[in-house]
Amino acid sequence: MERVLVNIPSNPVFERVVRASADEVGQAIGLAPDRIEDLKLAVSEAVNNAIDHGNHRQAAKLVEVIFVLDQDKLEVRIRDEGEGSERVDFSRRVVDEHNLEAGMHRGFGMYLISALVDDCEVSSSQHGTVMTLRLYREGYQR
Amino acid sequence: MTNEVIKREEFGDVALLHIVTTSVDAISATAIEAACINMRPITVLDFGDVAFINSAGISALLKFVVSARKSGYKLYAMNVSPHHQKIFKMVEMSRFMPTIEERDLAAYR
Repeated sequence: MERVLVNIPSNPVFERVVRASADEVGQAIGLAPDRIEDLKLAVSEAVNNAIDHGNHRQAAKLVEVIFVLDQDKLEVRIRDEGEGSERVDFSRRVVDEHNLEAGMHRGFGMYLISALVDDCEVSSSQHGTVMTLRLYREGYQR
Repeated sequence: MTNEVIKREEFGDVALLHIVTTSVDAISATAIEAACINMRPITVLDFGDVAFINSAGISALLKFVVSARKSGYKLYAMNVSPHHQKIFKMVEMSRFMPTIEERDLAAYR
């Protein structure tokens, strides 16, 4: 097992640093190009969620991202330093007429994560929230 | 007209907005939204240079959808990568911003 650790301040510009890391890690373990794109988007959404909703963009609070490279899978853990979240909604959300009229233009991130990775889970406490994403290597059980 | 992330081209009833940033995300969203002015009856967003789009970027693109709907204008996407086509389908963005081929614009030039 190998690990890559990235810590960023809660500034959205540094989400791009994590995304670039996801790209490199995805290539290093031989994910197919379309799976790397899925990985980058899922990680981007999780990190932005940690920055915005976990740490409320307080730059002094860090978002920690750990890429764990296993024989059968890549696991990505995204941890914020917020006060925890009671519930994370992964339900399907799409653009529709009602949302457009109501000015509800956000909230696709969690659905995209759940649809793009093989599995994901969230654990939360008063010390922060950890979102774990998993992508299995081709040929391994999901 | 040119700003940080959009290069604008007009001909006839068409506004062709070339997105010239590679990342349509939380960082570029404000500048992209700012380009949502003076839409034409046919407005086309060109994603040829775009390598990445996330939900913050989709939110910015929805400004164009709302503006087009209010004006009764048509909005299209051009040069969308297969991955971004997949994402647009997943969130049903493609219902409000279908893709168009560059050759289809030739008639308007």
